[in-house]
Amino acid sequence: MNTDEQIAKFREIYAALKREIGKVIVGHEPIVDSTLIALMAGGHVLLEGVPGLGKTLLVRTLGEVLDLTFSRIQFTPDLMPADIMGTNLVMEAPDGRRTFEFQHGPIFAHLILADEINRATPKTQSALLEAMQEHSVTAGGEVRRLAEPFFVLATQNPIDQEGTYPLPEAQLDRFFFKLLVGYPTAAELTEVLNRTTETAQATVNRVLSREGLIELQQLVRQVPAVSHVKDYAVRLVLATHPKTNTAVPIANQFLRYGSSPRGAQALILAGKVRALAQGRFNVSFDDIRAVALPALRHRLILNFEAEAEGITTDKIIEQVLSEVPENAAAVAA
Amino acid sequence: MTGFERLVTRIEHAARRRRLQRAWRAFWTGLVVGACIWLVALLSYKLLPLPMRVLAIGAVLGVAAPLVAAIGGLARRESPQQTAIWLDKQQRLEERVSSAIEVGRDPKYGRWSELLIDDANRHLERLDIRRILPWTLPKSSLWALLVLTIGAALGFVPEYRSASYVQKQRERETVRDTGRALADVTRRDLEKRAPALDATRRAVESVAELGEQLARKPLTKPEALRELAKLTEKVQQQARELGQNAALRALAKKQSDQSDRSEKSDRSDKSDQSDRSDTKTESADGKMKASSDDLEKLKRDLERALQSAEALKKEGAARDKAAQQNLADALNSLSQQAKELGLNISSLSEAIEALKSGEIDQLLKDLAVADRDLEQLAETARALEQMQMQAERVGKDLPEQLQNGQAMAARSTLQKMVNLLKSGNVDPKQLQSVMDEVSRAIKPAGQYGKVADHLKQALQRMQAKDNAAAAQSLADAANELQKLMDQLADAESLEGALSALRRAQAAIGTGKSWSQAGTLGQPGFKPGGRPGRGVGTWADEDGWIEQPPMTGAWDNSGIERPEMSPRGITDRGEAALSEGLTPTKVRGKLSPGGPMPSVTLKGLSLKGSSKVEVQEAIRAAQTDAQSALSHDQVPRAYQGPVRDYFGDLK
Repeated sequence: MNTDEQIAKFREIYAALKREIGKVIVGHEPIVDSTLIALMAGGHVLLEGVPGLGKTLLVRTLGEVLDLTFSRIQFTPDLMPADIMGTNLVMEAPDGRRTFEFQHGPIFAHLILADEINRATPKTQSALLEAMQEHSVTAGGEVRRLAEPFFVLATQNPIDQEGTYPLPEAQLDRFFFKLLVGYPTAAELTEVLNRTTETAQATVNRVLSREGLIELQQLVRQVPAVSHVKDYAVRLVLATHPKTNTAVPIANQFLRYGSSPRGAQALILAGKVRALAQGRFNVSFDDIRAVALPALRHRLILNFEAEAEGITTDKIIEQVLSEVPENAAAVAA
Repeated sequence: MTGFERLVTRIEHAARRRRLQRAWRAFWTGLVVGACIWLVALLSYKLLPLPMRVLAIGAVLGVAAPLVAAIGGLARRESPQQTAIWLDKQQRLEERVSSAIEVGRDPKYGRWSELLIDDANRHLERLDIRRILPWTLPKSSLWALLVLTIGAALGFVPEYRSASYVQKQRERETVRDTGRALADVTRRDLEKRAPALDATRRAVESVAELGEQLARKPLTKPEALRELAKLTEKVQQQARELGQNAALRALAKKQSDQSDRSEKSDRSDKSDQSDRSDTKTESADGKMKASSDDLEKLKRDLERALQSAEALKKEGAARDKAAQQNLADALNSLSQQAKELGLNISSLSEAIEALKSGEIDQLLKDLAVADRDLEQLAETARALEQMQMQAERVGKDLPEQLQNGQAMAARSTLQKMVNLLKSGNVDPKQLQSVMDEVSRAIKPAGQYGKVADHLKQALQRMQAKDNAAAAQSLADAANELQKLMDQLADAESLEGALSALRRAQAAIGTGKSWSQAGTLGQPGFKPGGRPGRGVGTWADEDGWIEQPPMTGAWDNSGIERPEMSPRGITDRGEAALSEGLTPTKVRGKLSPGGPMPSVTLKGLSLKGSSKVEVQEAIRAAQTDAQSALSHDQVPRAYQGPVRDYFGDLK
């Protein structure tokens, strides 16, 4: 299949995925778009929102439209790392010999739904660190590769809720996007009621196979991003680094730590997916701006002053976007 | 043409147009800046006493600013990539064009670059660069227009200058003009009559140099007067040194007496119309038929015209058309007179033209030139007349010539004698005649230094029949006379330089023009050189130069003595009184606001009620005042107020 066909197929599948998900999920179009962008870019997604907004349903539906193995882990305070990764069990053979045999945990799947991830203790949350970055787990001294593609979709309740453990910064940084799921509008809520309180059940079709997804993920990486667009992404990330020459004033005032390089990677990769999805062959400044909030909001660590004044990372990113010019010549001037 | 080449061509077209438009906008921005600079310069010039060159600099910068800005805009080239980025942003092409330009050159992108180039070309085809970059006037053009309009309006506003500044400028102008005229007159004298002595030449040249210096870099009035006074002192010293030669003094006195006699006889001759034609002067080409008196009259008329022109300038030409017409008539009449006299004064014709075109400054300049030309012509005419008169009254033989101080004629006679003696065939009768003439000439030659010695020696040698030696002695006597004549000519040069210096002092001191200063006269003299009434003559007893001998070096440079300015001591003109001296009619006060002066009254102090009628007393006072005024007992400056005061008494 040549590039032109691949691109056409990408657009077709992307549209089909949105259409199928739309059969189940009412509204939340930006959330669905962002989730698909992260999926195509090969990144993990953290969905945050109060209970009952359809986070889990979204992930479940995604599992249904993709021809991938799906696993759901309900995070609870008593959940242990071994419950996720698996453990060595003593097994007795028919001949009476006893051997240790690794029992795979739920993480050994293509699509993981880590439901209410912040209800587990940090110890258990950390069990995902290696899996999310290296796509492998180490258990009983043995490194085991996870099947590709590996995609974690975690949901979490707002951290100020009872019985939650905030995710550590390292864990957060491993998520490609953090999506904030908001309340539905009146029309959306009505549609939700129509779909869920009547007899008709929506059925979704599988749209994308495992191999197809890997192929599309490789295609995405071929999309050209020109130097001045990359430079813009770099300047955006650098502008979040407090106490540096490149920082914008609001970053200096309200941030303890800025975005890691993963933030810049996420901006460009997500930009590429968005460009392809919108029928372009190049990444634009608009693409970068469109994905800046989900890509950076969980990577900025607020300081005490920001917490006290109720400043959110979203507000800081919006300020950064307004202050950093697209044209590098303007910076030099 | 490949897709990439097509893309680059389109972008280069846009870049070219953008560059031209940048230059266009920069031109207007520069025009705003230039207009602002010009406006600031104009405003500064209107409010502050700045020289005209500020306006010139402002104008140059004002014109240069838009040109420099436009050239700067044209010179700034941008790469296709920069233009592509601009196009993307301007037309919201989402970095399609800039990506295509960058990726199109990189082979690693393979099919992607083709896709990008096609995509970019597709989008660019829809764009019309002319519509994106239309030729319109930028906003700055409105500002430029506004500033230029303000500048133009400000041009009609008269500039503010304080009275003291105007006075200083006028003084500087006077100093410059006077310096120019001084240099001109002195240089002309030098060309006409080169001094024989080095010291004299240096002195006269120093006068010309001072004039040039004043013309080139005008000094302030006190500085200029100080410099002129210093130089006058130097030249006077030079003249005094020359005047210590008794022989020269005697010769000068004789010539002066002879000249006076000639003038008297000339005046008597002038009553005779037939003789008048004999005194007419003819120029080298024989066309000029003007006598010195004609030229003097013409010159006086011209000076009156010059004064009218100056008055016209002060009052404003447009305001007084009648005065302008009068002046035009006067100039035409002058021109006619000059033509009748065979004079061709081109500057006079130019002055008439300048008056017609309303250029008063040019008119003044042309009239000043005409005045100088006439003065030169008058001098030449006088010299020719004098020579003519001298020729008519030359003595009949050597003793008489020496007696009359006719050095030139005496020298000529001596030369003839020398030639006769040298010829060798002198008959005894002729020799006796020569001896006779020489012996009679010894006595009058006694006042001319060594001339008498040489004549005595010649007589002795002739008596000893040594004609050759006698001829040598007579030649020595002729040489001695020549020396005296040279020295006399030098003295005249110095006198001319001194006269020019005094005229310059008068011009600068009174703030009048060079030609007007010529009519002011000497201190103690009325205009025209005649002593004023009630003032004793200050003429030099020796009849040498007019200046009284100095008794020592003095320097008044640091002292402000306006009453001693070269206007003259008694001739104070019609100048207004200073504020403190202005009499006002306030009962019981002689000088309101000032200290009460002590007034000494003659006669007895009478007390009690008056027995005289008031009207009678007033009449008596008016008569006394009139008598005092008519006997010049009241200073001239006070005559007007005194006359008014007593005239108003009722």
